[in-house]
Amino acid sequence: MVKVWIVVVGLTLVGVAEGVYERNCVPCHQALPSTLQQMFKRYLLVYSGEKNLKASIKHYLQYPDRSISVMSDLFIQRYGIKSKSWLSDAELDEAIEVYWDQFKVFGRLQ
Amino acid sequence: MVSLLFGLIGVLYYQSAQKLMLSDRRADLTKYAYIQTKRLKLLHHFFDEKRTYPRDPRFVSAIYDIELVPIFSLLEQPQIAFDKEIYIIGDKIHFIKTLDTYYLGAKYLILEVENSGAWLENFWRDVILYGLVAFVLFMLLGLYLAKLFVKPMRNSMVLLDRFIKDTTHELNTPLTAILANIEMMDQEIMAEKNRKKLTRITVAAKMVSVLYRDLTYLILEQEKESIEETIALKALIEERVEYFDILARSKQITIELKLAKVSLVMDRQKCIRVLDNLLSNAIKYNHQGGRIVIVLREGYLSIEDTGVGIAHKQIPLMFDRYMRFNQSEGGFGIGLSIVKKIIDEKGLDIHVTSKEGRGTKMVIVW
Repeated sequence: MVKVWIVVVGLTLVGVAEGVYERNCVPCHQALPSTLQQMFKRYLLVYSGEKNLKASIKHYLQYPDRSISVMSDLFIQRYGIKSKSWLSDAELDEAIEVYWDQFKVFGRLQ
Repeated sequence: MVSLLFGLIGVLYYQSAQKLMLSDRRADLTKYAYIQTKRLKLLHHFFDEKRTYPRDPRFVSAIYDIELVPIFSLLEQPQIAFDKEIYIIGDKIHFIKTLDTYYLGAKYLILEVENSGAWLENFWRDVILYGLVAFVLFMLLGLYLAKLFVKPMRNSMVLLDRFIKDTTHELNTPLTAILANIEMMDQEIMAEKNRKKLTRITVAAKMVSVLYRDLTYLILEQEKESIEETIALKALIEERVEYFDILARSKQITIELKLAKVSLVMDRQKCIRVLDNLLSNAIKYNHQGGRIVIVLREGYLSIEDTGVGIAHKQIPLMFDRYMRFNQSEGGFGIGLSIVKKIIDEKGLDIHVTSKEGRGTKMVIVW
């Protein structure tokens, strides 16, 4: 019984350590053919600038709609529009921050 | 005014030359920007594998996002004027292309090329060349206009000179005859009435004589070489005062002399011309019953009268030839121009102080 509890607590701690981005974004996107980086590049093409880009992602996650999606019609036809995010404002900001840091162009060019 | 006009034309021409050069460079830079945009597009699509920013030997470039934050820059002049399309900054030219599709998140692509300065050399060459031509043309035009405007004045001066020259020769003989005969007359046996008439004739004849000598000097003697000699100024002044005494007495003018024994090396005839002109002016423009004070000391001679005086602003003009401020007395207005000419020639200085209605003081220092 004690071993079971240790396993449960251990898994919970690992989950917390993973963070809101890894827990709430990565698993779903892994199943899609377009990677998170490809989606980030699509955002870059449309929304230049850090604040602009972050604000547009957050808006889409809160109010997903076909008309404001950066994905192609073919992709939307096949996989549809995501459901509205239930994450809080702070959690969304945190997740988007991680997403930005992971794929931003700033400081990566030589 | 002309300099200002030249300056304005220069500035406008500079701006025009700069615009022309930038317009020429814009065509090349637009082409480069198109090429660089294609490279950015490729880099955007292969960003997962490739991170090297595209470079070109013809230019350096930078990309900025919509918030004007640099994404990557190779520029040597980092100050960017985002409100302009093309401009010169230091020794570089910047060209800004706004991207429609934000490859790598870039909204602005900035290209930087060398500003060779060849256009500036051409500009200076043109400015100097055309400036010189324009300057010469303006000068010639100015000279022509000046001649055109001065011509009537010159003509009248030439006419006056000719008239004086012609009449001077004719004055000598009768004038000498008048003065010689006056001196020969025995005034002792003359009736008082006739003596007064004779005095008036003498005054008039002496005035004409001074005028004659001035004219003779002006036309014939001024070109002659000076015969320098040591002049006892005190004696000469006394002699000239004696000559003008009858003239002074006719206006009840008293002449006060404060003369020290001073000598001056100078041409005697020229010295007489100076003294005669200053004295005759002091008498002519004095009031009835006025006063003249002559002071002579080493290096200093002053002749001060209590006459009509002259306005302060007219003092610098009073030595000009044919310049007359008072039409009440006769003359051509040449006396003081002769005085100034002789004074300058001798290297002396003449100072004038005058008050209208109070009198004039002429001071010669050496």
